Amino acid sequence: MLTLGKGSDFKHLNTYGSGVKNGHHRIGHKHGEGFSIDFYAYNSKIRYWNSDFKVVFPILILILCIVLDNPYVSTAVIIAMAYITVIKGGLSLHEYLAIMSIPVVFIVISVFAIAFDFSKQPMGQYNLNLGLCYMFTSQANLKKAGYLVLKVFAAVSALQMMTLSTPSSEIISVLRKLHVPKLIIELMNIIYRYIFILTDIFTNMKNSAESRQGYCDFKTSCYTFGNIAGNVLIISLKKANAYYDAMEARCYDGDLVFLQEDKKLDPMLIVSALAFIIALFLILGFTE
Amino acid sequence: MREKILEAIDLYYAYGNGKPALDGVTVDICKGEKIAVMGSNGSGKSTFFLNLNGVYTPDKGKIVYREMTVNKKNLNELRKNIGIVFQDPDNQIIASTVLAEVGFGPMNLKLPKDEVLKRVNKAMSYMDISDYKKRPPHYLSGGEKKRVSIADIIAMEPEVIIFDEPEAGLDPFNTLMLEEVLAKLDSEGKTILISTHDVDFAYRWAERILVFCRGKIIADGTPLEIFLNKAVLKQANLKQPTLLEFYELLVEKHILRDEGVYPRSIQEFKRIL
Repeated sequence: MLTLGKGSDFKHLNTYGSGVKNGHHRIGHKHGEGFSIDFYAYNSKIRYWNSDFKVVFPILILILCIVLDNPYVSTAVIIAMAYITVIKGGLSLHEYLAIMSIPVVFIVISVFAIAFDFSKQPMGQYNLNLGLCYMFTSQANLKKAGYLVLKVFAAVSALQMMTLSTPSSEIISVLRKLHVPKLIIELMNIIYRYIFILTDIFTNMKNSAESRQGYCDFKTSCYTFGNIAGNVLIISLKKANAYYDAMEARCYDGDLVFLQEDKKLDPMLIVSALAFIIALFLILGFTE
Repeated sequence: MREKILEAIDLYYAYGNGKPALDGVTVDICKGEKIAVMGSNGSGKSTFFLNLNGVYTPDKGKIVYREMTVNKKNLNELRKNIGIVFQDPDNQIIASTVLAEVGFGPMNLKLPKDEVLKRVNKAMSYMDISDYKKRPPHYLSGGEKKRVSIADIIAMEPEVIIFDEPEAGLDPFNTLMLEEVLAKLDSEGKTILISTHDVDFAYRWAERILVFCRGKIIADGTPLEIFLNKAVLKQANLKQPTLLEFYELLVEKHILRDEGVYPRSIQEFKRIL
């Protein structure tokens, strides 16, 4: 079930992403099924960078964004991360913006709750009569909300820099080095592989159902979808068996260890990263 | 008489439904043999392979590898030396990059990392997939995945390689590539077992054919012996290779003299004419 759950999460994320991009050119990969983030990671020009660095650095920046809590720092981070991903990583600006716009809805909704308040009497600097009650806010509140948006975007862009330049298998191997429990690491590896196998199966079944008028109206669609979902479950169990046989045939003995190529850590990267972090502190010092 | 390396003695194996998938299979396999395993769907070929490799433990009977009767303790020794290329690469490929995938077997053999890398690079250049080494399997085509799944096994350097219906879903170009790889493996003295439904391929390539029917081996012999035995062909629902049929037809119509030399390829046929 874990497999299925995770798989649908991933899909959801991406259908959202491709929805945003509709009407624009697509990159040449699987027909309509957008695993865009995964695809971009494999094609990133900075994929050869040491993966430990690419995981640790964004997380450090993320923590700094939250701890320093300064709008200028956040702005600097947003610009720097966009620079790394777009200029260094070679992702087109258009696609980068499309991916960054995925969390916009969530941010807008949560910021709305922070910036605005409701009351029976008119109060605050700005208020709006809604008939039953007043919606009000103040300059300070709006400012706070604006800063929060910047902070969230800075944090998101730092993590996007990681996901858009590092394939999942490499992120997982870094987590292994960080002593995340073995069970979780192995599950992540297998789930990642299975997402693609199961979505492939799902797409095939959906196409074949569609070709037989399985989606002609709403009721039939629901029915067909249920059948396909049930079938995917059965197939995933069958596949799990076949997989286990194939693993055993290659001497699998309970320890899932993958060969990983070592990527050299360029000292320039560390120097630049340190310089960037110092710059962030300087910005903080000058603005507060 | 060639050196015997693998023996299956009176194997019985039944799945959960109680119907035996293998019903008393006894066979000897010698070093360097090229064996085609034929028989209709569900006749027990795949089950037989999984038993040979030790993934399934037979209900009755035993596997003997180089005079060592296989039991739980030396199971890995057997798996190390008998590799299976599965029919569907998607059931075999487990890692998220080609490099990690080909390295999966050698890593399980607990070899030092240099040795693993050496083997992996060798296997990848063998199958001509070195360019894809950083690619994830889900962005590979069917033919490329097949190559990866073969490289998986080659990297483990087994003595016996089993292919379970390798031509399934391959285009003509990749089928050609497959036959080249088979020839290369043969020249290196590997023992090869292939299950196939392609009678022309079996006739052309194999030295020996095993015919399965309902969990039993109903015939074991050279391609010519098998394909001239109408009773066996009928029982196993096989047909004669086109070339053989054609040749017999020419002999029957007295266009060719019957010299008992059956051509195995178009080239050989040309020489007769």
